[in-house]
Amino acid sequence: MAVKFPSEAWIKELEVKLNASESYAQAAATWEGDQIFVILPDDNFKDSAYFYIDLQHGKASGARQLSSLDERKALFTSSAPFGTWRKVLEGRLDPLQAMFSNKIKLVGSMAAVQRTPKATYELTRVAASIDTDFGP
Amino acid sequence: MHGYLGRILRVDLGRGAISDEALNEDYARRYVGGSGLAARYLYDVLDAGTDPLGPDNPLLFMTGPLVGTSMTSAGRYSVCARSPLTRIWGEANSGGFFGPELRYAGYDGVWISGAARSPVWLSIVDGQAELHDAGDVWGSDIYAAQDRLRHSLGEAKARVACIGLAGERQVKLAGIANDHGRFAARTGLGAVMGSKNLKAIAVRGSGKVPLHAPDEFKALTNQALALLKGDTPSQSLREFGTAGYLNLAHMLSDLPLRYFQLGEYAPADALSGVDMAEHFLRRNTACHKCGIACGRETRAPAYNDDRVDGPEYETLGALGSLLMIFDLQAVIHASHLCNLYGMDVISLGGTLALACELFERGLLSAADTGGLEIRYGDSEMVFRLIELTARREGIGAVLAEGNAALAERAGVPELSATVNRLEVPMHDPRAYLGMAVTYALSPRGACHMQGDMYELDLGRDNGEDIGLVPGKRHENSFEKGRTAARLQAWRNLYNALTLCEFENPPPPLLAAALNAATGWTLAAQDLIPIGKRIVDVKRLLNMKLGLRRADDRLPGLLLKPLAEGGAAGQVPDMPTLLAGAYAEFGWDPDTGRPTAESAI
Repeated sequence: MAVKFPSEAWIKELEVKLNASESYAQAAATWEGDQIFVILPDDNFKDSAYFYIDLQHGKASGARQLSSLDERKALFTSSAPFGTWRKVLEGRLDPLQAMFSNKIKLVGSMAAVQRTPKATYELTRVAASIDTDFGP
Repeated sequence: MHGYLGRILRVDLGRGAISDEALNEDYARRYVGGSGLAARYLYDVLDAGTDPLGPDNPLLFMTGPLVGTSMTSAGRYSVCARSPLTRIWGEANSGGFFGPELRYAGYDGVWISGAARSPVWLSIVDGQAELHDAGDVWGSDIYAAQDRLRHSLGEAKARVACIGLAGERQVKLAGIANDHGRFAARTGLGAVMGSKNLKAIAVRGSGKVPLHAPDEFKALTNQALALLKGDTPSQSLREFGTAGYLNLAHMLSDLPLRYFQLGEYAPADALSGVDMAEHFLRRNTACHKCGIACGRETRAPAYNDDRVDGPEYETLGALGSLLMIFDLQAVIHASHLCNLYGMDVISLGGTLALACELFERGLLSAADTGGLEIRYGDSEMVFRLIELTARREGIGAVLAEGNAALAERAGVPELSATVNRLEVPMHDPRAYLGMAVTYALSPRGACHMQGDMYELDLGRDNGEDIGLVPGKRHENSFEKGRTAARLQAWRNLYNALTLCEFENPPPPLLAAALNAATGWTLAAQDLIPIGKRIVDVKRLLNMKLGLRRADDRLPGLLLKPLAEGGAAGQVPDMPTLLAGAYAEFGWDPDTGRPTAESAI
């Protein structure tokens, strides 16, 4: 059954899938840093949503939906409108293209992202494998 | 004439004569400046019989209408001549401050002809030019030469463009250095300068660039600068330089390994620009009015190198992964040696990698090399070969002729990783198929800066007004060929303006700034046609020099699929891609000849 995006269930499903992925574990073996994903409003999504997930050495933990950005901090914050996230998750927009064209705005250490680009790719690939309901 | 100083300095080294010539305003309007304007000028002068290292091959130093203004990234200059390495159109450009200073000294360009009987250097100070004996700096490295000539001129802030030992000895991989370690590196124009016995040009000026609408221009350039804030690629370039791309390039198989024959190799990540920034970076350096400062100044304590210019991504590939050397300090040191002698790291790395490959295959032996065992992964050997090449000593005399000549000498021209005899840079066209068009049709041979499809397809997306939209990197299509051609036209305009390719103001903003500088009335949509005209004139000149439709090709090495990595199994479909590019340029598909009557 498809999981609604964005929702607490969706980010928890991502945590489960990341922890089951051998390729993510390998690609992100040196990755250290928790992340907040910000889903900004657009024509098809009127609210804002915030996901938190801790990513350490290829394993995920602590995934949950936040009520606001004030609730907690993270090393990395990636922000984009709902439609952009949807394109990435549906494989219609390359995640690095999105980042380098400023469609996804990253705040945090560029060093970590640029040293281990495979971690970003694998994270996206795993996220895209979730059976997701983007709503009407 | 707004946007231009209106003067070209003519220097006949054979007669020792110096004069001013009015800039051809019609040419400037049609070909803008830089390598575009130089190509139009040289179209009338060069022919198939011109000896690239003879006195009849003029060497032009050119700027563009935005150079020396407050426009961000407008600090470059172009050097142009017939290339001794490729024997076709040669152009190279460099950042720093030399270009702006030449404009402040009163000139849009310098036209060097003839050859001096003995070494000389040229000074240009506020419209006054003079030739000087260079006997005491001949033989010195590029850093010493710049320091000594500034001292001789009594102008501590003079900007000097010069050659090193490689240029003096007419090594066909020699470039021209300025502002410490910036280089107009490609196509061997340092050898042309050496053939003229011209060690250096030192410039100093106090003038200004006349602008049509100064206030409007200033507002537009402020707008361009503001766009860099919060821009992810600019942030990356600022933090890690071009080297920041290395790990991503490796993941995508854009980073060549083992002479373009390997798609992935885990140790290559040790060349990371991030690691370089964390462990070996002294400071960032910036060109004139740059809002990024991608330049690197590094150190390599293992080799007692305290101050090294670079290395850039291209150097990490050419002197690192291509040669299977994954020690950052070793690559920094090799880069420093190339800087001292004044050589193009891309062409040198490509030539040394072929030497390794020939040695592996038994096509080059210790008997040919004076007893040297040339193997992949041997950094000490690379240091030795750099010295020998710069001095043209031993096997270095062979390497000094470049990759294509080495492959021919070994009887395996099919192993040459060149396009029109220029060594392929560190962007594999199997990783970005559009790069196949860029390389095959580049007016100066294989050059990544003549259409950076890897940047476009990585996501640079502010060119929608002129039809430059990111696409899929592994798309073999007619339309991909068209896009690559449009991008080539766009970058040829950049090389005419002469702008850095890293800041990329949106085309409407660039058109408005150009109009405010010159008084022209261009729309964004007018810019690509100007770029195409510039590509056309270079194409027609190349055909005059012997280039044929059949030369629009990639080397066989790059048409074999890689077995592993992010581009595994991919090869460019050349007929389809080229058909799209010819259609976009309006070239005859059979002859490859421009059909636009307006090109000349």
